[in-house]
Amino acid sequence: MAAGDERTLEGRIALVSGAGQGLGRQIALRLAAEGARVAVNDRRVTPRVEEVVEATGGIAAIADVSDPEAVAKMVEQVEADLGPLDILVANHAYMSMAPFVEHDADDWWRNVEVNLSGTFFLIRAALPGMRRSGGGRIVIIASEFGVVGWANATAYACSKAGLISLTKTLGRELGPESISVNAIAPGIMDTPQLDVDAADAGVSPEEIRRRYAAESPIGRIGDPREMAALAAFLASERASAFVGQVLQPNGGTTRALA
Amino acid sequence: MIGPGNGVAFVTGAASGIGAAIADRLASRGWRVAGLDLNSCDTELALQADVADRAAVAAAIERATSELGPISLLVTAAGYYEMLPIGEIDDERWRRMLAVHLGGVANACWAVLPRMLAAGSGTVVTISSELALAGGDGDAHYVAAKGAIVGFTRSLGWELAPTGVRVNSVAPGPADTPLLVPDSPWRAPSYLETLPLGRLVTPDEVADTVLFLVEEGTYFAGQTISPNAGAVI
Repeated sequence: MAAGDERTLEGRIALVSGAGQGLGRQIALRLAAEGARVAVNDRRVTPRVEEVVEATGGIAAIADVSDPEAVAKMVEQVEADLGPLDILVANHAYMSMAPFVEHDADDWWRNVEVNLSGTFFLIRAALPGMRRSGGGRIVIIASEFGVVGWANATAYACSKAGLISLTKTLGRELGPESISVNAIAPGIMDTPQLDVDAADAGVSPEEIRRRYAAESPIGRIGDPREMAALAAFLASERASAFVGQVLQPNGGTTRALA
Repeated sequence: MIGPGNGVAFVTGAASGIGAAIADRLASRGWRVAGLDLNSCDTELALQADVADRAAVAAAIERATSELGPISLLVTAAGYYEMLPIGEIDDERWRRMLAVHLGGVANACWAVLPRMLAAGSGTVVTISSELALAGGDGDAHYVAAKGAIVGFTRSLGWELAPTGVRVNSVAPGPADTPLLVPDSPWRAPSYLETLPLGRLVTPDEVADTVLFLVEEGTYFAGQTISPNAGAVI
C-alpha cells in the first residue's frame, strides 16, 4: 500500500478528471499502481493524455467536465468499457486571477462552472453506478485558497470553498449508502497551476516556486506525488472511517482549518 | 518518504484499544515496536510506566533506544475516558486527566525529540479525539485535555516543520475500544444512528490512518485528521 507496494485497489474502476497533467496525472498513476483500472479524463486527446493512458494501462475518457451532457456520455462509456465506477477523483481545475471588479464575468463564471459545477456533474453521473454496486469512494481536490481565500482569486477560491461545502454535505448525505466523500485542500504544490500564480505576481515560474518554498515552514513546496498518495489513501478502504473530511497537507503554510 | 519497516517505533497506550491496534499494524509493516502502558503490552519490547511520570517515560525511552535502536517514530495513544458533570470534576480528576493526556504527550516528546532533532528526521503522531474538535457533553476535563493535545500538535508541528521532524494528530471518532464501557452513551443505538456511517470507528481504521501519516503523510505539518464515521464534519 504505501508507495504503491501493495495493490489495495486491485480491480477497482476509477475515473480521474483532469488527469492529463500535474496532480491528476500523478493520481492516475498511483491508483493504477495500486491495481485500479483508470479512466483518464481530460478535455481532449493530447499526447500527454495518451502518455497517461499508456502508463496506467487505462482508457481515455474525454469530456469537458463543465458540459453535463458530455460528462453523462463519458461516464456511460467508461461504465460500458470498464464497469461501474468504484472511485471518482474530481481533480480537474480551471484557475484565472484578476482583481475582483476587473475580472471578466464570463471568465469568472468559468472558474465556478469548471471546478464546482463540473464536480457536481461528475458525481451525479457516477452515483447510479456506485449505488448499484453498493458503495463508492469520491475524492475531491479542493485547495487551501478555498479555506483561507486569496487576493485576486475570488472566482477560484469561491469555487474551491464550494467544493469544501459540497464535500461536507455529500459526506453526510451519502455516508449511509457507503459512498464516502472526502476532500484534499492542498497547499502550494509543484504543478502547472503555479504558472498562473507567477503571472499574477509578475515573476517567473522559477521565482514563484522559490518564494513559496521559502515561505513554507517545511521549507519546500508540495510534490504532487504526496497528494496522489493521499488521494489513493482516501480512495481505499484504509480510509473507511473518513466521512466529509477535508484534509490539509500544506507543509504548515495554512493555519486556518477547513 | 519513510519506507515500510525500517525503524523503531515507541507507542504509548499500546496494551489495548487504539494503541494496541497501532502497535500491531506497525509491527506488521516491519517496525520494531516498543510499547509503553500501565498494563503489559504485546509488543517486541513491553514497558510498564505511567505516562504522567516524566522521569519514568524518559527512562522507558532510554531503554527502548538502547535495546532496539534510535526511535524514529513516536505515537502517543495512552489515555482514558471518563464522563462527569462539571461539578463533580474535582482537582484530582482534573489534574490526572491533564497529566495523562497532555502530560503524557509532552513527556514522551521531551524524551524522544532531542535525538530526532539531532538526526534531522522523525515522526510524531499524537492521538487526540473528535471530541476535541467539536466538544462533548459531560466530559469537559477529557475534552480540555484532548483539545490541549490538538493545540500542542499544531504548535509543535509548526515549530518543528523546518527541522525534518513531522508532528501531526489523528482525532478518531467514537471508537470501539475498552475506553467505552458497555453502557456508554456513545454505544447507544440512538447515538449511532446520528452518525453518517451508523457505527463506531474501529481501532484498525485508526491504525491505518496513523500508518498513512507515518509512511506517506510527508506534507502534513501540525494537522489533525479525523477518521470519525462522520461524527464531526
